[in-house]
Amino acid sequence: MSPLLRVQQLSTTFTTSGPPARAVDGVSFDLEAGETLGLVGESGCGKTVTALSILRLIETPPGEISPDSVIEYDGADILKLSPPELRRIRGAEIAMVFQEPTTSLNPVLTVGTQIAETVRAHRPVSRDEARHRAVELLDLVRIPEADRRVHQYPHELSGGMQQRVMIAMALSCEPKVLIADEPTTALDVTIQAQILELLADLQRQLGMGMILITHDLGVVAGIADRVAIMYGGQILEQAPTEALFAQPTHPYTEALLRAAPRIDAPSERLPVIPGTVPPATAWPVGCRFHPRCRHQWEHCTGAMPDLLQQAPHHRVRCWLVTEPHRRKG
Amino acid sequence: MTSPLVEVEHLVKEFRAGGGLFGRRRTVRAVDGVSFVIARGETLGLVGESGSGKTTVGRMLLRLLQPTGGTVRFDGADISAVDGAALRALRRRMQIVFQDPSGSLNPRMTVGAAVREPIVVHKLAKGVDADERVASLFREVGLDPSYTSAYPHELSGGQRQRVGIARALSVEPEFIVLDEPVSALDVSVQAQVLNLLSDLRDRRGLTYLFIAHDLAVVRHLASRVAVMYLGKLAEIAPAETLYERPRHPYTASLLSAAVGPDPAAVKRRIVLEGEAPGLGRPPSGCVFHPRCPHPLKDTRCFEESPALHKIEGGQWAACHWADEPLGTPVADASGSAGGPAAE
Repeated sequence: MSPLLRVQQLSTTFTTSGPPARAVDGVSFDLEAGETLGLVGESGCGKTVTALSILRLIETPPGEISPDSVIEYDGADILKLSPPELRRIRGAEIAMVFQEPTTSLNPVLTVGTQIAETVRAHRPVSRDEARHRAVELLDLVRIPEADRRVHQYPHELSGGMQQRVMIAMALSCEPKVLIADEPTTALDVTIQAQILELLADLQRQLGMGMILITHDLGVVAGIADRVAIMYGGQILEQAPTEALFAQPTHPYTEALLRAAPRIDAPSERLPVIPGTVPPATAWPVGCRFHPRCRHQWEHCTGAMPDLLQQAPHHRVRCWLVTEPHRRKG
Repeated sequence: MTSPLVEVEHLVKEFRAGGGLFGRRRTVRAVDGVSFVIARGETLGLVGESGSGKTTVGRMLLRLLQPTGGTVRFDGADISAVDGAALRALRRRMQIVFQDPSGSLNPRMTVGAAVREPIVVHKLAKGVDADERVASLFREVGLDPSYTSAYPHELSGGQRQRVGIARALSVEPEFIVLDEPVSALDVSVQAQVLNLLSDLRDRRGLTYLFIAHDLAVVRHLASRVAVMYLGKLAEIAPAETLYERPRHPYTASLLSAAVGPDPAAVKRRIVLEGEAPGLGRPPSGCVFHPRCPHPLKDTRCFEESPALHKIEGGQWAACHWADEPLGTPVADASGSAGGPAAE
């Protein structure tokens, strides 16, 4: 059986005045129904551009998705769909939740009106039915007193409640795929936990495939089935969540895990990753992480590794997979 | 132990809110009777979520905001009593580093000029001497002095935060309020900046108030930690004690939410019900009671506001049940297989 969503060799380039920036460079992954994939990386790694490319939300120019990229959904290549066909899928079959609910919600319309509009954009229902559906959706995302809240404006809601409204809008057409881009980054710690729990429950309840994009490994730890670590526009490591945390193999993954402040590690000094992420206009030759890698040797500076098989379902873009004795203690 | 550098007593800040054309103006209490001391050379972590009042406390310590009540003493002197030249002299001894360095740097000024400005304003050096000082500050925060001619937008977030730190250091302060200094940075850069702050403290004997919204970030710097909720201190204790034996249920839930990248610990997370209520309508009794998961919660919690009281050692908590030990979510987590295999 083919997966729900298949991304193959996705490359997205932005060209402005300077040299072209290859923000996403040959990203491939599958997403099954009912599965959560965590897409993790720091700013500039290409995780958000990957998500926007899947929905064809890349503005052209300056952006361009390379012609040999394939994004297969329900047997069709999204990149080859006509605008009306694309509209049928975007928002209805594949929906997205963004980081900042405040900037995504219209401040002069009640949340009920905004949800009802989304419903009516995709479904032939009356205004009353759409209203009714809005209340149902607010109830689904566990907003208390949904029938009262539906008449409120975004500014009357807390950040956590606004993000619930955004999730309700994304779910309005019962999408098969939900892409959540840093859905909890702007929220307080205790509210983050609530929203993650809500997303996990909804994903199970509705059987959606979910792509959870985040910079925070702690966020994917509790909720993703599989994790893909991105750096320099590429996936560097991909594994089932338990395996990734138990046996991080790419030096970047390992370093990210060590660099995260932890409450159970009282050591004064945090292990750091030296240097900074290189710009997309000038990825290093060879392995893109080699200038910051403590294990690197000559081979890494010349040849870029493929995603190599480390264990079943665990693939790593690193020459250490073929020459494990090079790993420094 | 030396005498405290900063002493805060019954600090209160009220803001006027609402109003508008027909609305009634009312008063909200952003900070409600907060007291603590910071010893010279110590780092106190001040942790809370939005609306907890932590940033307001930080601003009042530097007299960027005037307290409604209570006192702040710096090196023995009441800071609300000084002004003019004395206030300027005081300001030189205490500085602040903000969360978003791009918001505090002038986009039309080179970052070198931004660091030089306070040196000249406070008449610490001029001309070539001032340039020399700027270059040495850049080196001290890990930036090549060639960056002095760069504009803020030409630097990465981490580099801009280093400039923010150099600017704070430029006047040789003794005390620095770090207001979420790494919250806007990527994980790998966060670690670099936290290590830098720790090195600077050791080298210069600095005293920090480190404000953050999560307990994991302050772990690496703070020797004591205070937790705020809705304008009040929920708990204050030596770091080890607070992380291992929290006595306030809010601290315990924050700890469980900040477990970091560890699938097993994430599954043990305590997810609090509801959200922090608005400051305008604080709950009766204990302000935390509507969200409190404590198994012993009873009518007293609804009716009577618990005072911050001493548990043992330096640990104080504002909970009616604080004398009963809570479950220790963190101690369990430390032994699990969450960390990198290479550790």
